[in-house]
Amino acid sequence: MAEEHGSNEFSYPGMSEILFMKAEKFIETVMNWGRSRSLWPLTFGTKCCAMEMIPFGATKVDADRMGTLFVGDSPRQADLILCSGTISKKMARRLLNAYEQMPHPKYVIAVGACNVSGGLFHDSYNTIEGIDRIIPTDVFIPGCPPRPEMFMDAVIVLQKLIRENKIKRYQNGVFG
Amino acid sequence: MESLDRIKGRFPSMLKDVPSTNDNEAVVELADKTQLRKIVAEAKKYFDLLFMLMVVDRPPKTFEMNYVLSSYSKKDLLTIRVNIDRDEAEIDSIAGIFTSAEWEEREAYDLFGIDFRHHPDQRRILLPEDWPGHPLRKDFEVTEEVKNWTGLDMKF
Amino acid sequence: MEATGSTNRITINIGPVHPSTHGVLKFVVDIEGDTMVKVEPEIGFVHRGVEKMAEGRNYNSYTPVIDKLDYIAALNWEVLYASVVEKALGVSLPPRAVYIRTLMCEMQRIMSHLLFVGHVGEDLGNTTLFMWGFRERELLMDLMESVSGGRLAPMYVSMGGVYYDLPKDFESRLLPVLHTIEHRVLNEYKALSYENDLFIARTKGVGVISREFAYKYGLTGPNIRGSGIARDLRKDEPYLAYDKLDFDVVTEKGGDAYARFMIRINEILESIKMMRQLVKDMPAGEVKTKVPWFFKIPPKYTFVRQETPRGEAAMYMVTNDDTKPYRLKIRSPSFYVMQALRELMVGHKVADLVAILGSLDPVPGEIDR
Repeated sequence: MAEEHGSNEFSYPGMSEILFMKAEKFIETVMNWGRSRSLWPLTFGTKCCAMEMIPFGATKVDADRMGTLFVGDSPRQADLILCSGTISKKMARRLLNAYEQMPHPKYVIAVGACNVSGGLFHDSYNTIEGIDRIIPTDVFIPGCPPRPEMFMDAVIVLQKLIRENKIKRYQNGVFG
Repeated sequence: MESLDRIKGRFPSMLKDVPSTNDNEAVVELADKTQLRKIVAEAKKYFDLLFMLMVVDRPPKTFEMNYVLSSYSKKDLLTIRVNIDRDEAEIDSIAGIFTSAEWEEREAYDLFGIDFRHHPDQRRILLPEDWPGHPLRKDFEVTEEVKNWTGLDMKF
Repeated sequence: MEATGSTNRITINIGPVHPSTHGVLKFVVDIEGDTMVKVEPEIGFVHRGVEKMAEGRNYNSYTPVIDKLDYIAALNWEVLYASVVEKALGVSLPPRAVYIRTLMCEMQRIMSHLLFVGHVGEDLGNTTLFMWGFRERELLMDLMESVSGGRLAPMYVSMGGVYYDLPKDFESRLLPVLHTIEHRVLNEYKALSYENDLFIARTKGVGVISREFAYKYGLTGPNIRGSGIARDLRKDEPYLAYDKLDFDVVTEKGGDAYARFMIRINEILESIKMMRQLVKDMPAGEVKTKVPWFFKIPPKYTFVRQETPRGEAAMYMVTNDDTKPYRLKIRSPSFYVMQALRELMVGHKVADLVAILGSLDPVPGEIDR
């Protein structure tokens, strides 16, 4: 893919670069910059990782300073699913339902070992082994449960991916 | 235990003592499962709540139902043990006597497939309605097929 | 949303993911006007089949799974599980291990109750209280991390004791934290919660649990102590080091959401009192009896019940001369609370749903197992 789209190569364009950019690319750069700085999450917290998600939004770690505002909590107004906690089979269809309601572009962060690969509950009969089986996932956070700082790190990584236009589904303004 | 002696006095030769390995706990075995409601209704005079309902699967023949009764003011525990046939897993519901038994019985129906007669609202509680099988039975194996079932129209 | 039967009766779905509920719970509520006439709680959204997993794992390898049952008070459950296995195995603990376990249990209880205070604040639209609850909890989290290495899931209790001794400076770090929490709970919280007119208006007389109601649904723990039933397993059937401690069983008369809130506030203070005694009387010595990693337990039935922050939790374990349990039944107090909500909420306004649910403090991980 990288060969086809030259836009994958650039990162952090400077002012001189922006001035001599093609209009299309310029708009895309600005749009991606804007998207990366206002990721409103849908806090899809089901279990223990959700307990660490709360300190992520609270004073000590403070998600707000990265533009990750915990507002609304409705899939219709969210850009990002913070899927924290084991997804059981009863919950899988609710997760898909919430994901499908979100407007484009939408991003997914899978939090915790359960959502990465099944983790501790890999031999259970009622859990989904990794949510990337159900919805496309951009960033994975390992840990059981991860520390609040790791949520922050994941958001920063996701912002970088968006700014550098490396989310495969949304390259060059086309939503796949 | 005084309360147990009184219950036994009401229903002579129906309850059989089983040695217990726990303090303050008395275990009795009930051979005739049709008498369960009567015994539990009598026991309710001395015990306040149904503390838990444990089902043990003993293949190939029996399900062992353990009704643990407890009280708020005393330390005593009474376990009523009933063996039922595994193939025709069916027993009277005691939800009319202890309301807290209602969800416990729904859980036993969900995970073991035991049918409770005269239960007010018997349906699955923990698993989705269309889930195949009863997972806590000993012959239920967690296979790849079970793990990959999501109830969604998608293939892995 | 659909209209059913009569013209003004509406069925609404609340949940499973709702910002005000304490996790993934779902309520199907029939309302007439603004009054709830029928409530059907639905659970099972985080059912992981923990009881089945117990049948496939060694006694020692199962402890991390127990951590994720009630993730707010994980250590209490760890202690409960270890007690069941130790009782079946016939292992006795060194006195220092007993004291450390008691200390950590009480610490976890304070953390759980602080989180409860925060959640009730959030449910009633009081975000400041929510932040304060987490601020104080974070102080204890740091201590928990220095002891066990984990914040939420400590994995600290081993068979026959605890894995590590307390750090050397633990006492000097703990006592100022306890002082801070006591001061803030007594002086700062009252302005926003229990002496605040708005808070009292939302919680007084809401969701009243009578003595008969508690019996009917098998409620336990702080929820019935709010109704004047002085039932506490720490006092009635002392386990660990509770019989050596001087503490009171807190009760309230009201039985409503406000009384249940006050129970938790007072239990925080009682727990602080207990922790001070425990630190003072802490015996020296070993923290662990040697128990092999793999062991077999002869066929027997073992029952243990203990008081967790949410009520009376119990485990009934059936063993079969194997390295794994044959059957492990877990009684979670929140399971019974959820069942009681059917009746408790009827007749209240929809806005009271979160106040009642919040004051009962259920945790989905524990309900669904």
